[in-house]
Amino acid sequence: MNELSDAQFTDRALARLPAVSPPAGFEAGLLAGYDGWRARRRAGLAAVLAGAARGLAQLVWPGAPAWAPAGALTLALLLGAGLGAVLPGGLDRMVSGFSLDRTPGFTTLISSDGEEDL
Amino acid sequence: MQDPDAQDVAGAGRGDRAAAARLIARHGPKLLSVARRMLGRQGDAEDAVQDVFLKLWTHAARWQPGKAKFETWLFRVTLNACYDRLRRRGGEPLEEAARVPDDGPAPDSGLDDAALAAAVESALAGLPERQRAAILLCHFRDLGNVEAAEIMGLSVEAIESLLARGRRALRDRLAPLKAILRE
Repeated sequence: MNELSDAQFTDRALARLPAVSPPAGFEAGLLAGYDGWRARRRAGLAAVLAGAARGLAQLVWPGAPAWAPAGALTLALLLGAGLGAVLPGGLDRMVSGFSLDRTPGFTTLISSDGEEDL
Repeated sequence: MQDPDAQDVAGAGRGDRAAAARLIARHGPKLLSVARRMLGRQGDAEDAVQDVFLKLWTHAARWQPGKAKFETWLFRVTLNACYDRLRRRGGEPLEEAARVPDDGPAPDSGLDDAALAAAVESALAGLPERQRAAILLCHFRDLGNVEAAEIMGLSVEAIESLLARGRRALRDRLAPLKAILRE
């Protein structure tokens, strides 16, 4: 009698098993898992950014509530922008007050009788 | 050769839902069938596959194509999820319960397909988990020994040994049904 090898026997035995069909909603459930992961990742990123902002705030103004350094920063930015708008060319005038082709005068370092004070 | 899944894995890692859906459609059913055969319970198998895909989403953004074939990694994670669940079941007498009784129906008594399938499933469930995994990968999923070895993290020789012992044990457990299975 022709005896099956163990491998052939195994193939025949496993061929008797019914196919495993995914139940209804199986793939939708896996996709819902993906959606949940995406939502957690977004929330995680927001939490990391918020944590970094809180850490920076504590560094700048320890013990203050988060709105205080944020408010101070906003105020400083507004003030700077306002001054920039109100004083057009102000920076140009300041820069023109210095001239690199003139020798700096060290008059404050020279005593009144003309001798060096150093 | 380009891994056929590489683009979709990268896409899923970036948040592309359509890429994730393609990966699920391509791999979900076959992972479920392996998990079902490993665990013997449909609910456990579905939970295991859900865990596998959650792990996939977490790792997708860091996936590096070319290091290992994606499907190989996926089967490995699935088997590990099954091993974890089997260990968590602890002292359940799975192997004893799964053994085909010697005083079961005689080969000529005309088992119907469902009873025969149940007997084969019981015999398979009664195998040690690594023998069962090797048999499922090589006989059920038709993978080669080299790929099965890579999935299981073993040498090819070790897989061949597991297969030989698993096939022999399965045959012993199904001895009462030998005549039917020869048909």
